[in-house]
Parts: sequence; structure tokens; C-alpha cells
Amino acid sequence: MQRHILKIPFIVFFLILLVFFYLLMIDRNPSKIPSALLGSKVPNFEANSLFKKDKFYSSQEFTNEITLVNFFATWCKPCKDEHVYILRLSDEMGLNVIGINYKDKAEKTTKWLKKLGNPYSKIAIDNNGQIAIDWGVYGIPETFVVNSEGIIKYKHVGPITKKIYKEINLLVRGLQ
Amino acid sequence: MASTLGNILLWLSLLFSVLQFFNSYKKDNQNTLKINKIAVNGLLASILLAFFLLIYSHVISDFTILNVVQNSHTTKPILYKISGVWGNHEGSMLLWILVLAVFNYFLFKLYNNKNTIFISKTLEVQAFITIGFIVFTIFTSNPFEVIFPSPENGLGFNPVLQDPALAIHPPLLYIGYVGFSAAFSISVATLKLNIVNSLPWYNYMKPFVLAAWTFLSIGIALGSLWAYYELGWGGWWFWDPVENASFMPWLLGTALLHSLIIVEKRQSLQAWVLLLAILAFLLSVVGTFLVRSGILTSVHTFALDPSRGIYILAFTALLGFYSLILFGSNSKKYFNNNYFAFFSKEGAILINNIFMIIVCSTVFLGTIYPLLIEAITNNKISVGEPYYNSTVIPILIPAILVMGVGPILSWGKQNKSEITKKIFPSIFITTIFTIIFFSIYRLISPIGVVGIGLAFWIISNNLVIFFKKINRSFGMIISHLGVGLLILGITGSSVWQIEKIINMKTDAEVNINKYKIVFDSIEEVKGPNYLALRGNFLVYDKNKNIITILKPENRFYPITGNFTSEASIHTNMLRDLYIVLGDGNLQKGWTVRLYYNPLVVWIWIGALVIFLGGLISLKNNIKKLA
Amino acid sequence: MIFKKNIINIFFIFLLQFVMSGSYAVEPDEILLNKKKELMARNISKNIRCMVCQNQSIDESNASLARDLRILIRNQIQKGKTEEEIYKFLTDRYGDFILLKPPFKLTTLALWFLPLAFVLLGIFIVYFHNKKSIKL
Repeated sequence: MQRHILKIPFIVFFLILLVFFYLLMIDRNPSKIPSALLGSKVPNFEANSLFKKDKFYSSQEFTNEITLVNFFATWCKPCKDEHVYILRLSDEMGLNVIGINYKDKAEKTTKWLKKLGNPYSKIAIDNNGQIAIDWGVYGIPETFVVNSEGIIKYKHVGPITKKIYKEINLLVRGLQ
Repeated sequence: MASTLGNILLWLSLLFSVLQFFNSYKKDNQNTLKINKIAVNGLLASILLAFFLLIYSHVISDFTILNVVQNSHTTKPILYKISGVWGNHEGSMLLWILVLAVFNYFLFKLYNNKNTIFISKTLEVQAFITIGFIVFTIFTSNPFEVIFPSPENGLGFNPVLQDPALAIHPPLLYIGYVGFSAAFSISVATLKLNIVNSLPWYNYMKPFVLAAWTFLSIGIALGSLWAYYELGWGGWWFWDPVENASFMPWLLGTALLHSLIIVEKRQSLQAWVLLLAILAFLLSVVGTFLVRSGILTSVHTFALDPSRGIYILAFTALLGFYSLILFGSNSKKYFNNNYFAFFSKEGAILINNIFMIIVCSTVFLGTIYPLLIEAITNNKISVGEPYYNSTVIPILIPAILVMGVGPILSWGKQNKSEITKKIFPSIFITTIFTIIFFSIYRLISPIGVVGIGLAFWIISNNLVIFFKKINRSFGMIISHLGVGLLILGITGSSVWQIEKIINMKTDAEVNINKYKIVFDSIEEVKGPNYLALRGNFLVYDKNKNIITILKPENRFYPITGNFTSEASIHTNMLRDLYIVLGDGNLQKGWTVRLYYNPLVVWIWIGALVIFLGGLISLKNNIKKLA
Repeated sequence: MIFKKNIINIFFIFLLQFVMSGSYAVEPDEILLNKKKELMARNISKNIRCMVCQNQSIDESNASLARDLRILIRNQIQKGKTEEEIYKFLTDRYGDFILLKPPFKLTTLALWFLPLAFVLLGIFIVYFHNKKSIKL
């Protein structure tokens, strides 16, 4: 019995190192946090629209097609960097992209979109960050993929890169 | 040029380590010692030269070297150019190796005509460790890498790290971590050679454990001190994974230190000591892994790099598997049936040991649990301060109770009435002091009473020991007193802190405790490499006398583009007044955060006293060995 | 108490303001008047992780998200929500990661149970050791 107790330190050490090794091997980002909303219905919210007089009601959207939701702002540099991919998702892939303008100024956003192009079918204004909180957003830009039944299927934190663009491409095809 | 020389020196140090490793592998003969002398001195000399070369390169701003470019700038004050050498990953690895070489040297000094085989084996293990670190440094973290073309100037350096406490914090910590390597090597040699009773291997181990533990203590304390005055909300411990990585070897080191005392006196717990010596160093290396591999993000982590992580992990695995398997098979001989009584000095030390190990296990559990969960469920959780407060604090309370009484007990069994007689004076003094304390500070809270009571419990017990001349171990008494002072400071500053957050325009006043603070003015200040906005706050006591002017600043460093906020602190024996300037403007006023932190200074005094006690013990121990 | 006007670099002050306008942890304008409610808000905040910081709570952090969450918590307290309801609100959106005190779940059973197990094991070892010493 005593002999076996003496082996315990080694066994515990071995198991712990196994975990570390596993974590190093898999492709993981230590600062990326998985979304708590995956598989849930889209949060219910209403907001002012940027270009239209009517308000934006989330209950009226997300009902019959795959939709992308992109949180962005003019003061956010990575948002500018990824904008070309948002345009591609909207134009080339013909996806419905809704923009949520986070803590921004309407005139600035209008100018920004005029200059860079507007991929959004609708834009909701989130001045105080409450919509972002409802979506579990913590660092813009963040992009969500919602299926035709209004279920959130995917979230990406940070700017859309070529790699992520491809990922979204594949995902959307799979959902169709 | 410097780069070439630096690389040559690194390879040279590797060569000497390899020489030491293979040399010790042979059987005992006269040449072993001579060759080891060359290896040990050669290693120390080459790495020392390499280290000075790197310092020199930083000081003269040699921007042909990548490390200098990434971490230095011509406008950096010279003190911080030097400390910047070990403030980055590659330079700190060089420091690791240097301290390994220094302890290697002291291990060599242990040679006498009775223990040549044993010391040679120890040096072999130590050489293996050193080889591992040098190889890691040369191939993945080389401080002498060149950059071409060399730029005009460096990338500056984080101004938050340009600080005296932070400058000295890493070297002290590394003496701690690396010191445990010597204990590890002695333990492995003891197990491998089946020394058992043929040599007093524990006497060789003790000074190294003392040195490591003493410097680790002050290293940790300096890190906390820096956090306290730099980070702006009066906190000094955050259970950050990297802080935990320094705390765990300290806890095991404490258990190891105390177990060594029992081994000396009772020849008991030998297997325990051998295991603790292995684990303390393994934890140091695992800590290194956590900080540098990219597996965790933390304020402390160095640049994230999985390839480095794999190397360190593999090396840790090698060291750990070998030593623990060896322990599993060879430690049986070190068990004896020397069971001792609960109510005795040995009993108290054993109980304290167990507590230290429980706390260490809990901290380890909390630190790696998020990683475990992520590996198994792909979900992420946080284990933060509230967890440690709920688990570690309740365990520490009985541990400190026992710690008070342990030194007063004698070796060997005593009955309960004897013990009661012995501890009665301290119970009496503790009660008196606690009552006096709470009649001055009238805020009674359960945790406050417990904390203050425990602090006085330790202090009074050690005063009794000192005056009754019960124990001649002066270093121990001093260190234990230090712990008492530390607990006093921790309790005071945690339980009775007063915080005020208000908006103030110039000429506004605010009261905190018995002080009146008046916001006199705001001005622009120019520093050596920064511009600052400084608020002048006059502090009046209850007699309307001005005590001090607090001058918190918000600084901008143009070269790195950093903004920092510098708190202004007035310290005395009873409390700190701590003020931070937030944002604002002339029209609306400024956000001002004021803290009244009672007894904080006793945390730092306590840590210093612990350090001094350790040094005294170390000196006495080395004398004994000679 | 004269105001040192001529030394002030107005541009510089604005610069500092702009960059530090994330506010510096709890701001005076966030503080609730009801002391009990404010204490509740502080206690909850100390347990909520700042998602964009390194190992800080939203109570300590000066990030703008931290401030938004602090305000949200206070609003919910004003509406009469309990601590559990507020925690649930946050974890529904941000997951368990946002809690600094790990929740009591099946997956965290080991985390909460093991320290107790360690203590029991320690007591057992001492008891066992004591018993053996009495025998001798």
C-alpha cells in the first residue's frame, strides 16, 4: 500500500502535464471567450435606426433569412480594416447584414459609410452600449451569424480576416 | 561584435555545463574534482561575462542588438537601462542561468573528502538543469540576436516598469526560484545514491532552502509593494496566476524549511523533505512555463509563444518524471517509525506543514482549474479573488494559531497542563493587546478581531520566547515576529479601509477619517521623459495643522504614448493616506479617489523583518556547515 | 488658493481628458444615494470580471465596458432585482467566465470540494500519526 502511495506524486504530475500539453497543441486563443449565446434566440431589443425614421425592432428581423449582425463604430480602427469583408459578405454573397453602431455619432457614421461603402440593410443605434451588453459583446468589432429561425449560430470577436471570411462562407453555405 | 561575443560566451557556458554533467557521471576519482572545479568556475565566469555584456550593450544603447532595441531607449535613466536587462523575457532567462551558475558554485563548495561521490552526483543534476535552460535560451530566447539594419533608437520601455521596487524584484525572485534547484539536485542525488544515513544530506540542503525562501519572501513583498503604490486602488495582491506561481514555491519552501528542522532533530519526515524539495523546484519551473508559454494571459505574462511553451513543458516533464519516478521507487528507505506526539514541537511543525501544503494545493487547483475546464468542456470560467478568499483564508487561520504556539513547545511529548502553563502568558498578553487595540479603533468586525488577535498571538508568543530565552534560534524568532507584523498590516488595511470617490473642483474640501483634504490647485509638470498634470491637495489634521501636501499626477510619456496615473501617498505607522487623480476639467471639476488605509506600512515592515530573520538564520546555518 | 493659469497647457489637459475619458473605476456620478444599494452594487461589481482587462473586476477597472456594466448593475438594483437575478442576467450574456467567484455547478464540483477534501485528508494524517505515536 505504501509503495503505491509513493507513486501518487508522479501520477498527479503526469496528468497535469498532459492537460498543459493538450492545451498547447490545440489551436486556442487564451484571450478568446466562447459566446454564451450560441444556440439561443436573438436578444429582443428596439432602437433608433440610422437612416430611417422608423425604429428598429429586432422582433421584425431575423425571421426568414440568414442574417449577419456586425457591431461597429467609426472610432474603431479594426472595424475599418474589416469593412471590406463586410462589404463582400453583403454584396458578393448577398447576405443580409445588419449593423449596430456602437457609441458613435450619427453624422460621423453617415460620412464613414458614404466614404467606405454601406453593406448594411439596416443600422441600429446603440448609444449607451446596452444592446451590446445584451449580445454579450465586450470588444468591437464583433460579428454574429443568425440562422433563418433567429438562432445565433456563430460569433467572432475582432476584425474579420480572410480566414474568418472563409469560415463564415462555409458556415452560411451549410445553413442554407 | 557584441552579439558574436555574447553568443560565444553562451556556447562556452553550455560547454562547461556539459563538461560538468559528463564528468560527474564517472566514478569518484581525483580528477573529477579538478575537472568540476574548471567546469563550475568556467560556467560562472562565462555567464557572468555574458550578463555584463548585455548590461553594457543596454547602457551604451547598442542598437545592433535586438534585445536592446526592443527594450531600451537613449533617454532611459541609466538605472532603468540596467534593470531593463532582466525586465524582458530573454534577459531574464540570462539572469536565471546566472543564478543557476552561482548556486552551482556554492554546491561545489560543499565538497569535502567524505562526500565527493554525493556532491558530484548533485553537481551532475544541477548541470542537467543548467544545460536545459542554456539550450532554451540559445535556441528560443537569445538575448544577443542581431537586428539589421540597426535603428536609430529603441522602442522605449513601458514607463510603468521604470521603478526602483520593480527593478530589484526579479533578481530577488530568481534567487528564490533557482535556489530551490539546489535543493532539488541534493534531493535527487540523495535518492539516486541511496544515501539514507550515510551522510547528513539535509544539512547540506538547509542553507540553500533558507536562502531561496528568504529571497523569495522579499521578492514577493516588493512586487506587492510596487502594485500598492503604482496601480491606484490600494490593492497589493490579486491572485493573478503569475503571483500564485511565486506564492506556491514559497508555501512549499516554508513547509520544507520547517520539515528540515524536524529531520535534524528527529530523523523523521525524511521522505517528506525529499519530496518537498523536488516539488518546490518543479513548481518554480511550472511557474516559468505558465508565464512564458502563452497558455495564460495575465498582466505579468511575457510575449506569448507556444513554441517556447512546448520546450519548457518538455523540459519540465523530463525533470519531473525522472525525479518523481525516482522518488516513487527509492524513497521507502527514508521512512522510519518515528511517530511523534501531537502536543509537541514536532507535532506543531507537522500540522503547520500540512496546512502549508493544503494551501499550496488549493492555490494550485484554483490556478489551473480554468485550464482543466477548458481542456475538458471547451468552456471558460474564471477563478478569481473571491474563490481564494473563501478557501485559503479559513485554512490559514488555524495554521497561524498553531504557528504561534509551536516555537514555545518543547521537543517530545508534553501533557496538556504543561502546555497550558507555557502558553498562558501569551494568551494573557494577546487578550490585553487586542482589547487595547479595539478600544482605540472602535470598529469591531469578526474578521478584524480574528486578524488582530492572531497577529498579537504571534507577536506575544515570540516575545515570550525571546525574553524567557526558551529558544536560541534568533533568526526564527525575528522571522516569526515579522509574520505577526505582516498579519497586523494585512488585517488593518483589508478590514478598515475607507474609500471616498468624489468630484472636486479647486478649493473644494473633503473629510476622511479625522483629516480634512483641500484641493488647492492643478498644474502642469514636466518630468525627464513625461508631461504631467498634477493636483495639489493640502491635508489638515483635526487640529487644523497642515500635515502634508499630496500631489497625485496623471502622466503622459510621449515616446511610448503611455498614460499613467501616479498616486500620492502619505505614510505613517498608523495609516496611509492615498490619493489618485481621475479625469475632469476646470469647469466640471475632477474625480478624486481617496483612501484611508490603516496599518498598511506594517505589511512592508513585516516582510522586511521576515527577510532579516531569514538572513540571520542563513548566516548561522552557513557557519554551522563550515 | 490661486489657480496657476499661466502654466496650464489647455491642449494638454484636453488630451489627457480625452484619452482617460474611460473614467477611472467607480465614478462619483455612478454612486447610488442609498448606501445599502450602493454597497450591494459594489459587492456585485467586485465579483464581475472586466472582460477587456487582465484579471481585474469591473469595480477596479477604468475600461468603458466596466463602467457600462457598473451602471447596468445599479439600474437593476434600483429596479429591485436580487443578486442572483443580476448574476444570471450577466452570465446569460457573457457566460460563466464573467464571474470571478466560480459558480457552484457540476463542472466546478471538484474546485469547491477538493480544498475541503484536502483539509479532511490533513486531519486524517494528523490523527493517524497521533494514533501511531500513542501505540509506541
